Amino acid sequence: MKLLALMKKEFHRFFHDPRLIVTILLPGIVIFLLYNVIGSLVNTQEKYDYKVYVAGDAAYAQVIKAAVEADGSGSTVELVFAAEEEGKAAVQKGEASALLVFSENFTPAAGSSVQIWYGGSDESLSFYNLATAVLQGIAQANTFSVEGHSFEPEENFAKMFIAGLLPFLVVTFVFSACMSVTLESVAGEKERGTLATILATSVKRSHIALGKVIPLSCISAIGAASSFCGVVFSLPKLMGADLTVLGGYGFGSYVLLFLLILSFVPLIVSAIATVSTLSRSVKEASGYTSVVMILVMLVSIVSMVVTQMGDWVIAVPVLNAVVFMGKILGGELAVWQSLASVAANLVYTVLLVWLISRMLSSERVMFGK
Amino acid sequence: MNDLFTDEIVRAENLKKTFTLSRKQQRVEKTTSTRKVAVDGLSFSAYRGEIFGLLGPNGAGKTTTLRMLSTLIKPDEGDAYIMGHSVLKDPQKVRDCIGFLTSELKLEGFFTPDYLFDFFGAMHGVEKTVLASRKKELFGRFGIGAFSQVKVSDLSTGMKQKVSLVISIVHDPDVVIFDEPTNGLDVLTAKVVTDFLGELKNMGKSILLSTHIFSLVEKLCDRVGVIIDGKMAECGALSDLCGGKSLEERFFEIYRGIKGDIL
Ligand SMILES: Nc1ncnc2c1ncn2[C@@H]1O[C@H](COP(=O)(O)OP(=O)(O)OP(=O)(O)O)[C@@H](O)[C@H]1O
Ligand SMILES: [Mg+2]
Repeated sequence: MKLLALMKKEFHRFFHDPRLIVTILLPGIVIFLLYNVIGSLVNTQEKYDYKVYVAGDAAYAQVIKAAVEADGSGSTVELVFAAEEEGKAAVQKGEASALLVFSENFTPAAGSSVQIWYGGSDESLSFYNLATAVLQGIAQANTFSVEGHSFEPEENFAKMFIAGLLPFLVVTFVFSACMSVTLESVAGEKERGTLATILATSVKRSHIALGKVIPLSCISAIGAASSFCGVVFSLPKLMGADLTVLGGYGFGSYVLLFLLILSFVPLIVSAIATVSTLSRSVKEASGYTSVVMILVMLVSIVSMVVTQMGDWVIAVPVLNAVVFMGKILGGELAVWQSLASVAANLVYTVLLVWLISRMLSSERVMFGK
Repeated sequence: MNDLFTDEIVRAENLKKTFTLSRKQQRVEKTTSTRKVAVDGLSFSAYRGEIFGLLGPNGAGKTTTLRMLSTLIKPDEGDAYIMGHSVLKDPQKVRDCIGFLTSELKLEGFFTPDYLFDFFGAMHGVEKTVLASRKKELFGRFGIGAFSQVKVSDLSTGMKQKVSLVISIVHDPDVVIFDEPTNGLDVLTAKVVTDFLGELKNMGKSILLSTHIFSLVEKLCDRVGVIIDGKMAECGALSDLCGGKSLEERFFEIYRGIKGDIL
């Protein structure tokens, strides 16, 4: 009951202050706008004259041609019917935009398949995106398979970009959300002497710690969710041909991403709450918090640069979330590693909460001058 | 004497508290020693139904003593018992049976008196219906009713003090510990507070207060302890202690006896 009252107080404090609500929701809106601007810069529909080789049962190639030409950019598609090998050679040399290989007796139904071979040029990627969108549109009702094959090892610029930069951005925005609420609530209350008033009552110190960390995490999670939505809603714009990439990340990926972010939030909140409890003023606490922030930023930048890391990263807070968010966004569904990271972060959070309640009972920390 | 006064409610035994001074504090205190003995082997008892006053000059150690009694800080040596509970071994029990009012404990300015009363009621585990009737009674008694929905930060100093006072006794504690309860209040508000202390006494509460105001002690206290330099210089019933003289006169006598001269 006492814990409940403590938690309710934090929520009340937050939801009755419009300024706090704005600080929490702003990051998501900023991400959304930012990514949409980037997206429209990256993906302005260019006019291309595609040359596309077609092999196999080619009846549906005309459908794709018609759909691509109808997209309003004024692009044209020239179909060249040839053998598979000849088409591959042409794409590889850059003479053709792509090669479509239809399976024998292709009908848009289960059992049939289409392969799309494409290169690294913008023209090639653009056709790949458009064609996949068209085919998946058809395939939604009729389950045939669409496979993309790239001749370029670095396949998709946008996907790489997302996988690399997004975790970093999410971490940054989550951190700032946690920071704005936690500093004010923990260091602020200590500085103003209102925490001492609660300490003078018989409430358990662990309840005071939980009464801070739980609601502040929920509030920060709203901020994180806002950033997350900002990202998800910008993906289509950023990727140009939306369905491919959105479909590329399955439901499972989104669940894992969300869990990773969610496990990361209470960890950061309790870390900031810890330094806030140690500090004498909000100013001092924000000083320490910016050190923590720089560490977190460094860690996420390192993980962007160093791509191959062993499973030991699971045990490293923050780094684990960044690395596996990156992997998932890069198309690798690292299920057990992600779940283990979530668990690890939870353990660290519990440890920090325990530490905070110890500090709340410490006269030196709470009343030392 | 009334036999109410035989029931020992507060017992301080040889309390000692030493603070480590920071550089800055050393400069302020004009000392080169890194340690400051704030309370130095203090013992006294307070009994049920009485108002006990700790009287002493600035820096005597009154606040430090009350902070130890209310478990905010721990004594280095000695122990104190409130209703039989040790402040060292059983701080949670002590917190439940005392109401502590001191300028160090602030109320969050964002909330209203109404909200804070309920919140601290919950912190002490007061039942909802009991809480509601107590709120009505206390808010009425102190004229807080009209301000119950005004944010604490928007209240005047006097009203803030009244709200703090009401909230410190939200759980109807048996022992009330007030550090300088009338500090910064105008005569009207101060009277409301002192009258209320008298009323609390009549309700059978035991009250421990600290002050450097002689008239407050003379008006309210049954017994008084004079603290000088962290030590109990003199302690006893007000009339015995004064021995016919005014409290002020007696205080200066005691002070001279210990310090030689007044500065
Ligand atoms: N946290 C602290 N650190 C260092 N010294 C302290 C601390 N708290 C109190 N002191 C010192 O201990 C001594 C006693 O302080 P205390 O506040 O108990 O006095 P007081 O009797 O309440 O005085 P006042 O009438 O001014 O309130 C003072 O010299 C004070 O400077
Ligand atoms: Mg004092």
